[in-house]
Amino acid sequence: MKAIVAIVIVGIVAYNSVYFRKLDEHKASGVAKEFDAIGYAKTFWEKKLPQRLDSAIELGVLKEMLSTDPGNAFAQHSHALGIGNLRYFLVKETGVVTNVGSDDIRLDKGVKVATEFIFGNSVRDASGLVNVNEFTNTMDFNNVSAEINKIIREQVLPPFKASVKKESKVKVIGAIELNKEHLDLSDIEIIPVQLELVDTENAGN
Amino acid sequence: MRLAGIIFLLVLAACNSRTNNESKKVAVIISTLNNPWFVVLAQTAADKAQSLGYEAKIFDSQNNTALEADHFDNAIAAGYDAILFNPTDADGSVVNAMKAQSAGIPVFCMDREVNSIDAATSQILSDSYSGCVAIGKYFVETMKRKGTYVEILGMVGDNNTWNRSKGFHSVVDFYPDLKMVAQQSAGFDRNKAMEVMESILQANPDIDAVFCGNDAMASGAFQALVAAGKIDKVKVFGFDGAEDVIRSIKEGKVAATGMQFPKIMAETAAVYADEFFKGKRDFPKKVPVAVELVTAKNIDDYMGYGKKE
Repeated sequence: MKAIVAIVIVGIVAYNSVYFRKLDEHKASGVAKEFDAIGYAKTFWEKKLPQRLDSAIELGVLKEMLSTDPGNAFAQHSHALGIGNLRYFLVKETGVVTNVGSDDIRLDKGVKVATEFIFGNSVRDASGLVNVNEFTNTMDFNNVSAEINKIIREQVLPPFKASVKKESKVKVIGAIELNKEHLDLSDIEIIPVQLELVDTENAGN
Repeated sequence: MRLAGIIFLLVLAACNSRTNNESKKVAVIISTLNNPWFVVLAQTAADKAQSLGYEAKIFDSQNNTALEADHFDNAIAAGYDAILFNPTDADGSVVNAMKAQSAGIPVFCMDREVNSIDAATSQILSDSYSGCVAIGKYFVETMKRKGTYVEILGMVGDNNTWNRSKGFHSVVDFYPDLKMVAQQSAGFDRNKAMEVMESILQANPDIDAVFCGNDAMASGAFQALVAAGKIDKVKVFGFDGAEDVIRSIKEGKVAATGMQFPKIMAETAAVYADEFFKGKRDFPKKVPVAVELVTAKNIDDYMGYGKKE
């Protein structure tokens, strides 16, 4: 009888002493609890970013500059938050849709606009508006990008995807990533910030 | 007597004429040297410090924060003038870095972060999150948005572990047909990763892919998959840009990795120490270093630990 009681007691103590959590949940609980990434991204999107969109360079002009004077093109028009070859540009383009795919739409200007993989830091970093040194923890900094991308997925893409079709005329302002050392202009992908179908009868180009 | 005095003054003058560079010492305190990637980081930092005219010594913390604390105590006591630091633990290493800073010794973190903006003079860090976002996107495309996979994590106390995992999942978790059947830590260690992979394969023999938080673990997982006869079916994804994994991508055995640039981080840290000695104080608190996706498509641009010259 004593042995059974002892086993039960040991069992209860053991059960209450150990619990299991997924490693990512454990770590996630310890970070970003004081930083409001959603609020930061909302302010960025509604108040700061719109003022920067006027500075977006025509993609055709940028490609020309990159072909003739890449150093100057990167120095004048790109942003990046640290050291390295990956740099980001705010660009604008107007073109006719040649293909509507599951991951993107392709324009006749030899460029694609992402409609599926809206991830990474292109928009945050191309804006040149966010300073990594404002953040105590890089996870907070990364969460800003995740929330910006969420806004694009939820607000920018659905109305556009619902109406775009082949031969639609599209105007896009967005961000692109280019590798300074291994420049590839054949596969440029724009992460859209503004996407609109242009009324072809009234469009200027 | 006068001659002796002159000689004494000459000797004193000679001593004083030694530049400050020659008298300064730089400690390179590294989380572990049991991984070739960190050996490259440590050696590059020491070599760069020496090339700038300083004495440099490497200390191996063996992934042990207590041993790291001893190294800091010794470095402070031995009169080192700067510490190029690769921490063992984002939280646990803060006190060590603070101790050095309190003693007036600048600390420059390389690759790994400490969770305090004030603990280090500057932190030069791989942008692990963005690198793994790129890997995650490639993973989804390669897997055609469905299949089962395993994630092998690095050290749970290191921010890089979670920045990488979170970057990867920030993409992959959008695709419900990609199911993670196991997630386990192998502490960034090759042998441990092999054991972990062997164990996971017992319970999940039919996985389609494994994502590892560094290339040492990717190599360990790869070995386990070869031993189990499953390497042709399971795609391996790593992170680091280690020499053997770059070779494996070229041979079609590993799907992708994220190229970090340990030499750039180490050299930047040493240059920052040099600038500190020369009076500069306004260092950026954090300097992200871009991580580049390496696949079969662009493998010819890369070599182990960096880009081809």
